[in-house]
Amino acid sequence: MPNDLYPPLPSEQMEFLRTTTNKPLLALNLLAAAVYFFVLAFWFERGNLVLYLVLMAGEVFHLWQVFGYIHTVWQTNYPIAAEKKCFLPVDVFITVAGEPEDIVENTIRAALCMRYPQFRVFVLNDGKVAKKENWKAIETLATRLGAVCITRTEASGAKAGNINHALKRTSSPLVAVFDADQAPLPDFLEKAVDYFADPKMGFVQTPQYYQNHGLNETTKGSWEQQELFFGPICKGKNRLNAVFMCGTNMVIRRKALEEVGGMSEDNIAEDFLTSLFIHKKGWRSVYIPQILACGLAPEDFLSYHNQQFRWARGSLEVVFRYNPLFSKGLSWGQKIQYLASASYYLSGAVVLSNALLPLIFFYTGLIPLNISTMSLAAIFLPYIFLTVVVLRLTSNSAYTFKALSFSMSSFPIHIRAIWAVALRKKTAFAVTAKKKVQGNFLSLIIPHLVYIALATIGIVIAISRQGLDAEVLTNSAWAAFNISIFIPFINAALPRATTSPDSKVISVLPAKNADTPVLVSGQQALEVKNGQNSRTN
Amino acid sequence: MPTTAKNITPPNKNGKDFSAVWIILALLLFIAVISFFFLSRQSLRLDEAQTLWQSSRSPSGILWIVAQDVHVPLYHILLHFWQMPLGNSVPTVRLFSLAFFLASIPLTYLVGKKAFSKNIAIFATALMAISPFLNWYGNEVRMYSLLLFVTLLNQYFFLGLFVGGETEKSSRPHWTGFVLSAFFGIFTHYFFWFILLIEGVFFLFYRKIFPPKTFRNLALLALLLLLSVLPWFWYVRSIGIINNSDPLLGKPSSVNFFNTFSQFLFGFQNDHLNTIIVSLWPLSVALAFLSLRKNLRTPPQVVFFFLSALLPIVLAFFISVFVRPLFLTRYLILTVPSLFLFFSWFLSAYSKRLSLVLKTGLVLIMLITLITQIRDSNLPVKENYRDAAAFLSARAKAEDVIIVSAPFTIYPLEYYYNGPSKMTTLPLWDRFKTGAIPAFSEQDLPTEVAEINGSHRLAYLVLSYDQGYENNIRYYFDTHFQRLEEKIFSNGLRVYVYKLRYDDGNFGGGA
Repeated sequence: MPNDLYPPLPSEQMEFLRTTTNKPLLALNLLAAAVYFFVLAFWFERGNLVLYLVLMAGEVFHLWQVFGYIHTVWQTNYPIAAEKKCFLPVDVFITVAGEPEDIVENTIRAALCMRYPQFRVFVLNDGKVAKKENWKAIETLATRLGAVCITRTEASGAKAGNINHALKRTSSPLVAVFDADQAPLPDFLEKAVDYFADPKMGFVQTPQYYQNHGLNETTKGSWEQQELFFGPICKGKNRLNAVFMCGTNMVIRRKALEEVGGMSEDNIAEDFLTSLFIHKKGWRSVYIPQILACGLAPEDFLSYHNQQFRWARGSLEVVFRYNPLFSKGLSWGQKIQYLASASYYLSGAVVLSNALLPLIFFYTGLIPLNISTMSLAAIFLPYIFLTVVVLRLTSNSAYTFKALSFSMSSFPIHIRAIWAVALRKKTAFAVTAKKKVQGNFLSLIIPHLVYIALATIGIVIAISRQGLDAEVLTNSAWAAFNISIFIPFINAALPRATTSPDSKVISVLPAKNADTPVLVSGQQALEVKNGQNSRTN
Repeated sequence: MPTTAKNITPPNKNGKDFSAVWIILALLLFIAVISFFFLSRQSLRLDEAQTLWQSSRSPSGILWIVAQDVHVPLYHILLHFWQMPLGNSVPTVRLFSLAFFLASIPLTYLVGKKAFSKNIAIFATALMAISPFLNWYGNEVRMYSLLLFVTLLNQYFFLGLFVGGETEKSSRPHWTGFVLSAFFGIFTHYFFWFILLIEGVFFLFYRKIFPPKTFRNLALLALLLLLSVLPWFWYVRSIGIINNSDPLLGKPSSVNFFNTFSQFLFGFQNDHLNTIIVSLWPLSVALAFLSLRKNLRTPPQVVFFFLSALLPIVLAFFISVFVRPLFLTRYLILTVPSLFLFFSWFLSAYSKRLSLVLKTGLVLIMLITLITQIRDSNLPVKENYRDAAAFLSARAKAEDVIIVSAPFTIYPLEYYYNGPSKMTTLPLWDRFKTGAIPAFSEQDLPTEVAEINGSHRLAYLVLSYDQGYENNIRYYFDTHFQRLEEKIFSNGLRVYVYKLRYDDGNFGGGA
């Protein structure tokens, strides 16, 4: 396939992959965090005991997060070059469960166009068991394009079950997995398979790039969060042999998968848990920091919300049911990494508790610590400013305020996930919608709006109680800080136009009279997409 | 891509083409108006009076006096020669400081333009011009505005060494300017060494972006500076102990640390307003997070200004806590241009709308605080010795005595007082003898008071700059003499009038 049909992605969109580290700075950040924590914990007089304990629990978690992040990004350019070429046969799985046919067709075509000597493309069609109307159309589509369609007739294990079902009916030593919207670039297998020349290589993961990331506030926020994960975090995990599968854009050694009984059907974050099992068996993993496939971000707030909940729910279950710290077969580096990644979703509880502290002060006058505002600033500011510098440096300035906002503002999602795990509620695997779901999603930001209202009223109460003293002012500033964090998230939930005129999206679209996918400019892609809503092929 | 001298591209100079010259002229006019109508007409302050007294000596006398002080003599020598043709009236001597402040304004623009862009330079220059703190010390008879100017000059030439990919040959003019300004700097204020230290530290981290042989040149310069300042250190040491003619400084706290930044931005405010400003510090965390913008690069110049703005303050703080208290906001004036340049770059990094809102807000608040600083007569930095001296001139007679405490506050009173009364200090101090001001002694107080009072009729007790014994003195007078009057002239400056004798003052009147 001529390469000029696939123009390279704009350079500025690759910045998140060009990471650097500065070890003295990282060490200094950790030191500042530790100093802050220990001074806060032991130097000052306690206020209200309950609030103090809640605050300290949160600070322990923050310290753990700082340590976990620094441990991860300590070295992000760990050499991972494949030692020699490898040409093992590959079964390419495209998991489908009711996604729109045009998106699936795009992915199938892209898969068929990969440059590699020996591979077969299988469409794993779960549409029938998921009771999707287009399951037959998917079968027809796959057959027409030259892929093999495996349609399940018995439901079990959602996506993991779908893959396990296909494993039994295929035989290549390697398996590549793509979601329905993740279209691989032609050199995907060329670049990914070489790592399997190492007989201990269990799986290879590549980034999940959202080609529609500029579409609206939700896709932007969603992608900007991903940039931190698929940038310095995944790159850093290479050093520790702790890269885990992310469900798509990955190649797995069949033997490794079979050793652990296939993809885990016990957890809705099946990729994360299966990776842990594979690592426990001593297999290696690697992350290739190159965009080798292009997919779609959730285009509406509800889809984003559901996706985050699924990830949170699945990851937290790993913490509480399969605690990595006690998993035999993992190195200490791997244990820390799995625990750090999974426990990230506990941050919602900490965000909420910290956000509530100013409100509690406004309404009751209670404080966790008797500390002068300037003393707190003296120990907190160096630590937080260093953290900001470290985030910028390690992400190569790809990490944004919007990403931070989305992470912190997702606290209701995380808390709901914590609650579901604690009560062992069953959560069904729900495929993230690949097309925008219409509707008003303001109900998803009620907690944030309530916070703003309570803070506003609370400030008035506090001022009338004790005037504009230092305590009131500092707590008001903290409330304002929290509100500023919520604003981009609230903005994303507001009903608005779906498209951003300046979005540059590279979309793989089928040509009208050819089997060759064609890459077009973003604006054209959006226009055609809108037209495709009613087109017939 | 690694950062080297060749690929530090010159900053983007493609800002809007509003005429920088006219803006700078307008800012200079603004400063001149503020100075003429408000700041230059205020009463002489303690430090200024001391400087005037010191600089009125001959050059050798200046060296002798300053060597007993905590400063270096360049400013005093220059002021001495300034006064020779122009006289020593308060506005005239303040004009000397104002000249350096005014010269710092276009120099800030040049530094900002060299480092970043026209837009960033203009905004930083505007902050300099409207800064209540800089306007205050730009009109003070002290070395601070000279320090400001020399620091900017030195930083301008230092920037020239690495911005723009200089070669060894093309960097020679920058080296010349850097060396000369460094020599001026170390004789302007001891804190200038912080600037040189930070430049050295910056070089160590970013040496690849400097021309060849920079390390050799910097090492040579360091050696030359040390050699040039050694005779001064030897002279200071040979004279003896620094004579404690300045107020005692206490160890700084976190409040002092953050008040420094508050004062740099918003000047001197009353306690309540100051509390409001510093208590809102969590908003700075929000601003820091908001700076997380995609693909926002941090050029080395930003790191340089950040270090130059922060490290001297941190170093002075820790030295003051662990070695010797020397933390004074005014000594740290040399960090202000770097702080404003850093802020200007920082605020420009936000989205256009947010940047405009924040910049407008900052300018408005600074202008408001400039106005409140001018109008509020109760600020601790405002010392109204002039009105106190006018009161004494009008009321104190030849048979009265004026007692000044703390002793070093005699300088500003002496400048203004034209009356017939004898003026002395408590504790008793002979300024013309070498040595420190005598320490206060509760035991010696009655003897000294008796010696001072003699056969005088009224005592005018002028108390300011409390060194920890002001209340003891006042209490002694209150319990031994009849207090006739109390007048407050400014924050911490009071005059008490006591009756020393119980006759009617007609000598020889008999039964």
